[in-house]
Amino acid sequence: MVTTASEIAGTSTGSGEQPLVRLEGIRRHFPIFRGNVLRRRTGTVKAVDGISINIMPGETYSLVGESGCGKTTTSRMLLMADQPTEGSIYFDDRPMNQFSGAERRNFKASVQAVFQDPWSSLNPRMRVDHIVSEPLITHQRLSRSAVRAQVQELLQVVGLHPFHAERYPHEFSGGQRQRIAIARALSTRPKLIVLDEPVSALDVSIRAQILNLLKELQSTYELSYLLIAHNLATVRYMSHMVGVMYLGKIVEEAPPIELFTNAQHPYTRALISASLPAHPRRQREEIVLTGEVPSPLNPPTGCTFHPRCPFVMDRCSVDVPILTAYTPGHATACHLYDEGEANTC
Amino acid sequence: MTDDVILRVQDLQTHFFTRTGVVKAVDGISFELKRGETLGIVGESGSGKSMTAWSILGMVPHPGRIVGGSINYLGDNLLEKSRGEMRDIRGSGICMVMQDPLTSLNPVFTVGDQLVESLRMEYNEPRRSLRDRAIRLLENVRIPAAEDRLTNFPHQMSGGMRQRVVGAISIARAPNLLIADEPTTSLDATIQLQYLRLLKDIQEQTGAAIIFITHDFGIVARMCDRVAVMYAGRIVEQSDVEDMFDRPAHPYTEALLESVPDLDTDVDMLPSIDGQPPSLDALPQGCSFAPRCPYAWDRCNEYPLEFTVAPGHVSRCWRAE
Repeated sequence: MVTTASEIAGTSTGSGEQPLVRLEGIRRHFPIFRGNVLRRRTGTVKAVDGISINIMPGETYSLVGESGCGKTTTSRMLLMADQPTEGSIYFDDRPMNQFSGAERRNFKASVQAVFQDPWSSLNPRMRVDHIVSEPLITHQRLSRSAVRAQVQELLQVVGLHPFHAERYPHEFSGGQRQRIAIARALSTRPKLIVLDEPVSALDVSIRAQILNLLKELQSTYELSYLLIAHNLATVRYMSHMVGVMYLGKIVEEAPPIELFTNAQHPYTRALISASLPAHPRRQREEIVLTGEVPSPLNPPTGCTFHPRCPFVMDRCSVDVPILTAYTPGHATACHLYDEGEANTC
Repeated sequence: MTDDVILRVQDLQTHFFTRTGVVKAVDGISFELKRGETLGIVGESGSGKSMTAWSILGMVPHPGRIVGGSINYLGDNLLEKSRGEMRDIRGSGICMVMQDPLTSLNPVFTVGDQLVESLRMEYNEPRRSLRDRAIRLLENVRIPAAEDRLTNFPHQMSGGMRQRVVGAISIARAPNLLIADEPTTSLDATIQLQYLRLLKDIQEQTGAAIIFITHDFGIVARMCDRVAVMYAGRIVEQSDVEDMFDRPAHPYTEALLESVPDLDTDVDMLPSIDGQPPSLDALPQGCSFAPRCPYAWDRCNEYPLEFTVAPGHVSRCWRAE
């Protein structure tokens, strides 16, 4: 049985709306080998271990969690840069591993990405017009003048000037470079953009500009975003749905306001308590987690969070908690809430 | 009482002499730091905040030079010290906390060797007693079984442990002043919190003053007593931390505080600051924030003086006149 968290949570604003992307029980396990001559498999890293999410059209789904929890591996599978070991990804209700050639091309044009660091994600030897038009030329047959017209339009959409087309990336500041990367992502008129830490490399006074631009583009073009970010305040500002990941699993999923005012999973609560206050008089109650994130090579039994959990119980080291919606629209994978459910039944 | 002041920077000017002209990375900044106090220096890249730190440490890279002002540390002007004297002060009096605490240990030496190395600079003692001091240091930063840990290599320790070892090394010679330049930018949230708590812990034990150089107002709110906001090489506003968050006086501070999303409240659209941070080799005449400032008026063509808006709260903006 596959539990689709978003389905339980019932995220979609419209009633019968179809998700644009559906991840069902996705696993990505990397084998670890030892030895050169007598090569043998000595272990498995479960980078992503059974996650199911729905990304609705025109909405932002955010994945939060610490480094190594599988956020980026998930996004790579969604970008077709990697294949899941198990489970399937549906795009517009079609399974990705059964795509025909045409569907595949269409998919590649419909899903684009914007990365964290605009200093390394733009080719320094290419002019801006080439950077922006490269995906266009790959995916469509267009005359040179049509390409030029589209580039000019795209630059204006992201708040740059048409004359910037003839410049090189080094002539721009970080915020402007990120705008170029966004223009490039928009060029194929995508339905989904993967945003991997889109503002964390930018200056503070620029971040709000870029976040606002992304929000505007989302409402203008009905874009869906998969946002990967570690700054929870940014996630709250941008998202419609948030999934908290820990060691390759989603441990809690809810819309941002619900999640940040009423967090259930101890890990989510620790993450929130670790985010810095917005005012010196509003210090948070700090839950300090002991120890580190365990190695995904050898994850703890039962609930993978139990060795660091302040509320650990006996059964946590034995039973794997299942993501369950204890309140409507809010799913948690934690045994703490099992009893609550038993009581109400 | 001036006894309590351990660092007084006055009108510090650090300029870079490049082929294309003089870049005024730090252009006349002044601040004071008392024993046990924590000062946050907030600014964007290129605002001169890191160069302020390097200036205090006497390590301004070529082609930069300190061209004016004074840095008074415990009564001595650091700008008059020789290289050798500065090297001594850097280890024992003023200490830099590394940007990335997880990778700043040497992987081929044991933790004990690295601790003893920094202790040997301070204490002329046999290796045995240095080792005992190293054990005490590790215990101070709450490493269990400290004695056994001395023979560990960094890779045998967890990230949090390594953090603590780096913390122990930075307090090995009982510094009066710690300078932390973006100490947690590369860390995950829960690890960042652990590290900030460790620094507070160290501060309580040693009574050291800390300068936090950061772009994150959250760190300031969590850690600092006073704040100085830098923009294009100058301190545009300086005050107690609560006063700054309650009544930001400079339009840049005000806009910056508003433009950071807040985890506890909801907004539809964040107010954002237009334009880009200025490039230091092409600063506008007058107030350097004026081109991005919503309140700019003709007065701003002249560089604003420093005005006191409340006790201990100064702002370089004509609106405060």
